[in-house]
Amino acid sequence: MHLHVASAYSLRHGVATPAALAARAAELGMETLALTDRDGLYGAVRHVRACAAAGIAPVLGGDLGLGGDERVVVLAEGAAGWRSLCRLVTAAHEAGGRGAPVATRELIGAHAEGLVVLLGPASDVGRAIAARRPDVAARRLAAWRGTAETVIEIVNHHDAGEGPRAARLLALAREAGVPAVLANAVRYLEPADHPVAQVLDVTRRLVPLHRRHLDDRTGHAYLKSLPEMRRVAALTCGDDEADALLDATRRLAERCVLDPGRDLGMDGVHLPPVEGDAQARLAARCADGLVRRGLRGRRVEERLAAELAVIARKGYAAYFLTVADAAALIRGRGIRCAIRGSGAGSLVNHLLGIGDLDPLRHDLLMERFLADSRTGLPDIDLDVESARRLEAYDVLFDRYGTRNTACVSMMETYRARSAIRDVGNAIGLPPGEIDAVAKAFPRIRASQIGAALDDLPELRQSNLGRGLLGVLFRIAERLDGLPRHIAMHPCGVVLSNATLRDRTPVESSVLGYPMTQFDKDDVEAMGLLKLDVLGVRMQSAMAHAVAEVARTDGTEIDLEAVPLDDPATFELIRTSRTLGCFQIESPGQRELIGRLQPRDLDDLVIDISLFRPGPVASDMVSPFLAAREGTREPAYPHPDLEPILRESLGGIVFHEQVLRVLDAMTGCGLSTAEAARRALNEPAVAAWFREAALARGYDTATVEKVWAMLAAFGSFGFCKAHAAAFAMPTYQSAWLKRHHPAAFYAGVLTHDPGMYPKRVILDDARHFGVPILPLDVNRSGAAWHVEPVSAGGPAGIRVALAEVKGISDAEVGRITGGRPYDSLTDFWERARVSRPVAERLVLTGAFDGIHGPDVPRRDLLCRVGALDRGTVRPPVEGQLPLDMDVTERIPAGELPPMTPAEIVEAELDILGMDVSRHVLGFYDGLLAALGVVRAADLPGRPAGADVLVAGVKVATQTPAVRSGQRVIFATLDDATGPVDLAFFESVQDRCAATVFGSWLMVARGRVRRAGARAVSITAAACWDLSVLHETWRRDGLDAVRALMARPGPPGRPVGRRIVRPTGFAMSPYADIGHAGPSAKRILWHTSGGSSGPLPS
Amino acid sequence: MTRVFGDPVDVLLGGDGRPVRFVWRGRRHTVRRVLEHWVTTRDWWHEQDPAVEAGGEREFWRVEATPDREIGVYELRHDTAAGTWRLSRVWD
Repeated sequence: MHLHVASAYSLRHGVATPAALAARAAELGMETLALTDRDGLYGAVRHVRACAAAGIAPVLGGDLGLGGDERVVVLAEGAAGWRSLCRLVTAAHEAGGRGAPVATRELIGAHAEGLVVLLGPASDVGRAIAARRPDVAARRLAAWRGTAETVIEIVNHHDAGEGPRAARLLALAREAGVPAVLANAVRYLEPADHPVAQVLDVTRRLVPLHRRHLDDRTGHAYLKSLPEMRRVAALTCGDDEADALLDATRRLAERCVLDPGRDLGMDGVHLPPVEGDAQARLAARCADGLVRRGLRGRRVEERLAAELAVIARKGYAAYFLTVADAAALIRGRGIRCAIRGSGAGSLVNHLLGIGDLDPLRHDLLMERFLADSRTGLPDIDLDVESARRLEAYDVLFDRYGTRNTACVSMMETYRARSAIRDVGNAIGLPPGEIDAVAKAFPRIRASQIGAALDDLPELRQSNLGRGLLGVLFRIAERLDGLPRHIAMHPCGVVLSNATLRDRTPVESSVLGYPMTQFDKDDVEAMGLLKLDVLGVRMQSAMAHAVAEVARTDGTEIDLEAVPLDDPATFELIRTSRTLGCFQIESPGQRELIGRLQPRDLDDLVIDISLFRPGPVASDMVSPFLAAREGTREPAYPHPDLEPILRESLGGIVFHEQVLRVLDAMTGCGLSTAEAARRALNEPAVAAWFREAALARGYDTATVEKVWAMLAAFGSFGFCKAHAAAFAMPTYQSAWLKRHHPAAFYAGVLTHDPGMYPKRVILDDARHFGVPILPLDVNRSGAAWHVEPVSAGGPAGIRVALAEVKGISDAEVGRITGGRPYDSLTDFWERARVSRPVAERLVLTGAFDGIHGPDVPRRDLLCRVGALDRGTVRPPVEGQLPLDMDVTERIPAGELPPMTPAEIVEAELDILGMDVSRHVLGFYDGLLAALGVVRAADLPGRPAGADVLVAGVKVATQTPAVRSGQRVIFATLDDATGPVDLAFFESVQDRCAATVFGSWLMVARGRVRRAGARAVSITAAACWDLSVLHETWRRDGLDAVRALMARPGPPGRPVGRRIVRPTGFAMSPYADIGHAGPSAKRILWHTSGGSSGPLPS
Repeated sequence: MTRVFGDPVDVLLGGDGRPVRFVWRGRRHTVRRVLEHWVTTRDWWHEQDPAVEAGGEREFWRVEATPDREIGVYELRHDTAAGTWRLSRVWD
């Protein structure tokens, strides 16, 4: 019966989730509960679902700001009220501009149908009462009554003077004959939550904690029970009035109860309109597709008939036509577009041209995607070029109309770092200190702060968590998971009809797109079609590569038409030299590829499916590889299952196999099998399976064995259709790398699709014999491009202007637009870049092509200074009163040329990558003296050998592994290839800080063989190479050896284990990165002030 | 005039939580009327070892009460975390 309740979806105001509020209300014996979040309906759908789960009736409304601190609550009655509420919230966001919604009495009046306005202490009426102006209050109340149905809202949190004010407001209501209700303006569940609300109060206002900044000074804004509300009423206005007030409140709540189906439309789907008989049109389009794809035969026809029948039963024909339309529109604009996810298993999708894989040929099932037993609209996800994702959005908005289309939103929530920052500001810590403390934590949930302080070696020795910081951490933990910022979902778009804005409030996203206030789960619950249009960088990289091939040698490549069995491509993949390729470039994947030795696309599908936490942790990989290598006979639990499990040599890898196994052993059909798969963890399913399988004559031992397999691996399985959809770009990228390497690298370097820094990709290009052409103002483009080293010579790649630190798009545009330049001065006059950018271009050799080796870069640098001093920025475009004499008078060759080391240092600083040569080259002397083994020589070392390795750190990962340890995997690049290292928990106290904190590393460890060619190192110790080098230069090799011989602290486990029902133990810190600042941009060890000397 | 005290008092509450009687310096005072009632949270961010989880508030009752025939105004302060009552101010 609470009518005024803010959940955490009232950003930086409410503390409790809708689910917690509904559960508590039910516990307190209430029959209804309203959610009236501030200026938005972000929590509305969650509230309706939470109320259903708690067995109470939902009321919805909004607490709307009217400018200043003035607010009123509006409640929706019936379908008309919900429509008005959605449109009013949208209008308030439109009126106030992004992030500053503001309603007015007139705006509310324009949407008054079905709305009830509650005027409480924060309304203009309440303010006049507080100011002891009953005359003004009465006038304002009359104005509201002429606008919409109006009710007075009495609130008393027992702040000083609040009780008497509430009594005067009630007197006004009685005098004017306006109904009055009692509310508690709820912000949190229970009294003890008030410190969190107080922190949010000051965080919202960006001020430090002080009583005068608090909205909540009494701790009474909690979800009070009925007796507690009765007491508030009695203390405010006496016993007689109290009962009347509570009765009126209950009556209004009952009146405003909303029915999810009838009032909110949650019982239907609301698709864009399709002309004519959608099912007939779909069938006709599929028939066309059969001809176009050249598919025929009984199997195809039966499958198509089955799919169309399910679609007809569910009434989803319009949905498929819409998605096909959307995909065709996107492709029609020349944007690469691929299907991802379970939708690739549907023949209808293939025939409509949504997906390019033939599901029958790759043995994919429709039921995983669409089945009678699945509820809700099926998900079709489209991958498009990341660089053109918004263009794809524009196509959709144009086609369906901006009123009928909206992006999906998502709530960013408090995590450890953001919580520490906000609480740190509230309790008045200095900004520098807050930054240091926040960055000390890895990217974990705020609720893990305390545990992380104790668990992680890199935090354990820090002495954080004492004194004032202890308070900070305790409050910060309580902000865990609270929404803090609304953002546009990276891919969801809702396509609907003209009723969309009656069903969902819409606001403007940062990029100016209409965005629903509902998230992806909410729009699904509301029966809206959500199309996921994901921007995938690899698609952009491949589009760029294809365009470069067309530009340089005129060959038009259709990647979708490339044969999927090219031997040369698979030969490349089998070497594991797959850096830059989609999905198979990570250290772990390269190791797996090396052992698995893929021969065809189906092998890639298996590879992608095996390289996941579940299969790795359940040790499905080793038996599979053993069977594949022929050292173990594939074992099948029953001959009937052999055809199903043959592709994975006896294991269960795919969801599709789970479905088929269930069907084969119980005869239940694939649709029921899909329902059983989704409920595999429920005991009832186990009982059903045993009974049905025994009834079909399987013996107990077989049934138990199969069930054990299903239970252990089934929930970890991967959707084969999804893996197959992924295998396409994997294969396509490898094909490009093999056949058009320069174009491939140009694409990958421009769009940066992978996990490695660009300098690693660049080094890979060097290994593959692709020449790297330096930056040149007359040749470099905005993006990386392919360029023959000489006429008819091998194709190289030219560094892009966009790589220069701090360069703007406008500057890049002027540089490329004004070419060619015949001198630095000419460039300065016409390209008009900022001085720092001009200096950076000089330092990275962008003018070497014009001025040649006779004019060293340092001289050019002086000229930039002179040009800058001599240039009075012109008041009129084109006038450059420049003293040419001064600038051209500097004689060439006065200053010493830059050394190779200085050049590489400048490249790393400005471009973030070593273009002219590999940075490790400068350490060759020390590395040789220490006897460091290079990556290229590692395969020749026996397993178990103790070695020293070195290199530039290119990646660290802490994935889930079988033992449940937190293992740090690091990859070094030593100019001859990658070196993969594993640091187990026993060495992390000694090594973690160095692994995460340094860029150049030396490590000692034991060689571990992984398959025929791949090698990795189990690390025992590691050091910062720049520190060793400094010691070497200063004190010699013996000092370095002494430093390396120093023992480290003993190890201890990192955190407790999370043990899954299947026995899979996991570290709570798996996959979350590390504590401390990222070392990615720290490219060089520099001393304070100047860039330090490089070893030479 | 106002006088400020901090003396502990024993308070008897009515059914709705209002003070009905209190004993101050051995004398029984009967509450005639509640003039004002308000609560405040503690400034937990200033406290040495803030038990943030405990919450707790101070509740004030300004009442007209009488020990005999004369009526005075008394301010009673209740610390909910500690469960203590004190007489904070007296107007007479």
